[in-house]
Amino acid sequence: MWQLILFNVTNGLIIGAFYVLMALGLSLILNLSNVINFAHGGFLVIGGYIAYTITPYIGFWGALLLAPPLTAVIGLAVERVLIRPLYGRDPLYSLLLTFGLAFMIEDGTRFIFGPQGKPVTIPAFLAQPLSNELFFITGYRLFMVAVVVIAVTLLFLLLRYTRLGVRIRAGTLDLETVAALGINVQMLRSLNFAVGIFLAGLSGVLAAGQLGLEPTMGTGLLMPSFIAIIVGGIGSLPGTLAGGLLIGVASGLTAVFLPAASEAVIYVLMAVVLLLRPRGLFGEEGMMS
Amino acid sequence: MSSHILNPKFDRRTLIKGAAALGAFQVASPFIIQARGDTPIRIGMVDPLTGVYAAPAGNEVVGAKLAVTQMNAKGGILGRQVELLVEDSANDVGTGVQKARKLIERDQVNFMIGDVNSGIAAAIAQVTAEKKILHIVSGGHTDSITGKDCKWNVFRVCNTTRMEANSVSSVLFSKYGKKWHFITPDYAFGHTLYDACTDDLKKLGGTVTGNELTPLGTTDFSAYLIKARAASPDVLILLVQGSDMINCLKQVVQFGLDKQIHVAGTQQELESLAALPPEARIGIWMFEWYWKQPGVAGVDKFVADIRKLNNNNVPTARHWFGYASAMTFALIANQEKTTDAVKLAAALENFELPDDVKLQPNKVYYRKGDHQLMTSAFVGEAQSKGKDDPEDLFRVDEVVAGDKTAPAVGETGCTVQWPS
Repeated sequence: MWQLILFNVTNGLIIGAFYVLMALGLSLILNLSNVINFAHGGFLVIGGYIAYTITPYIGFWGALLLAPPLTAVIGLAVERVLIRPLYGRDPLYSLLLTFGLAFMIEDGTRFIFGPQGKPVTIPAFLAQPLSNELFFITGYRLFMVAVVVIAVTLLFLLLRYTRLGVRIRAGTLDLETVAALGINVQMLRSLNFAVGIFLAGLSGVLAAGQLGLEPTMGTGLLMPSFIAIIVGGIGSLPGTLAGGLLIGVASGLTAVFLPAASEAVIYVLMAVVLLLRPRGLFGEEGMMS
Repeated sequence: MSSHILNPKFDRRTLIKGAAALGAFQVASPFIIQARGDTPIRIGMVDPLTGVYAAPAGNEVVGAKLAVTQMNAKGGILGRQVELLVEDSANDVGTGVQKARKLIERDQVNFMIGDVNSGIAAAIAQVTAEKKILHIVSGGHTDSITGKDCKWNVFRVCNTTRMEANSVSSVLFSKYGKKWHFITPDYAFGHTLYDACTDDLKKLGGTVTGNELTPLGTTDFSAYLIKARAASPDVLILLVQGSDMINCLKQVVQFGLDKQIHVAGTQQELESLAALPPEARIGIWMFEWYWKQPGVAGVDKFVADIRKLNNNNVPTARHWFGYASAMTFALIANQEKTTDAVKLAAALENFELPDDVKLQPNKVYYRKGDHQLMTSAFVGEAQSKGKDDPEDLFRVDEVVAGDKTAPAVGETGCTVQWPS
């Protein structure tokens, strides 16, 4: 039994790492621009399908490098054309816009690639499990965790040590003052949005290798990411990181004892956190007042 | 810039407005496939075009579309042109019922088809019975639809879960072993399929080592697979469907579990096998219809017709479900020369589908007593690569007639109550 629990905690951390990648992108956009990006799952799908389309020409590794920035470029265009005009309005507008956009991306993908799923082939050496005993740790899942660790490290370095990162962090705390200091807030929001969508695109490529592709895949992966943000605390990137890992482990552990509740448990966890600590584990008070 | 522009914040009213807008979003106009003539006959179709069953549902619609085109070319129903009105149930019971009501009350459909999701199909059946609309459940398998909850107006084209289990259980038992562990989708379809399999297994003298109930739309099955392997079964039976089947089977193979235990199941679909990488196309299963049937009348033409509508891809069982469902309305209404639901339902009892609609070797008919179509099970094994055709991903070993797999009417729990 202990072995089963240990296996599921490890497994939960692996799944949680993936949620973290999605949630960090969402969190960046929410923190700076107050846009709840319902289309984030859609951008994940776009990233995945871009990778699927270019893999025959440049291979899996090429797709891994190229698909996320291409997704970010699409994100940048969407932000410039659709989302930017709504910044001055009630946040509900951008929420509805991204909600509609999520449907459009899903249906657009279905229109172009068909409703049937597409298999994505990963390099053979990654497709093997580590051992018979630790069968659930495959090379690809370890690789995913490694990519997440690298991406998260780079993101935190970017936010801490670069001018852009400092401005994003400052803007998250007080955008009005940042604007008063002469910083181009529109540009800041665009770049921040692109970084968030880059992470969604990267999640898409990784998910494509793990799960295969289908137009609806974004929806299922989006909800846990939202919950990771809420559990970790809105406004806190370390909170998002902790939230993602926590719901992964909670879900994995529940699968041992009550498999049918392994999905519901993340919502229960969210409810408990909101009851006991409404700002989330690492959140600051008043972020969503 | 004002602080509102820079830092707009959410409040409760904003969220309520959002919820209201989402509600309004549900009441959009249906997608009308064809509209000709003054008083067309309308067939309503509710299927989950989005969500985990989007691929099979989309294919059912294509099949029904082909049927409507063919029947209109032959003069329609009672000389009137036929329209197909398609609505998306979004794989949600509430939405499905709402769409069915809209089709009946606003669009005045004469007939209804749907849904792939058993839970939604059963809920829509309540509505069609109340409104006296002839209803064919194209692709929802749970037993109760033609069992204890059967209705005078409801007929079903796809197999019951009991028929699926009966067609393949003994083969799985003899080839793979007697200790079975299940991965089951946690809703009506999964529960009845699990019950049917375990009943068969007990009769055969086997044991169940466990059952993992998984929520519909699960993307990661690793936690369940860890538990299943710890139970050391002879065979892992996957009862999940749609994208759940794809994700689960893919992870089974990634983890190398197929090299340690047998992996198989009951219902398998071409949509799922096509979406899997070759190495994950494994196991013994049953198909409900298969496109490669050398020498069977009408199949080649049907395959060619569907290819034209389906990006040159072959038809799946779902295409045939949609096609057979829509064709049934035309056949029976033209035979009885009426659209009266009660008369047509009575005439459909023991009604046999003709060769160009049944598209399989055995006798296929709507059984009197429970209104279940006695359709065949195609039992065989998944193939990693097609021999002559890349889409030939299943080797059919046996085509078992529906009345050999279906339990007797008396055992289904169905008592049809006709309207007075």
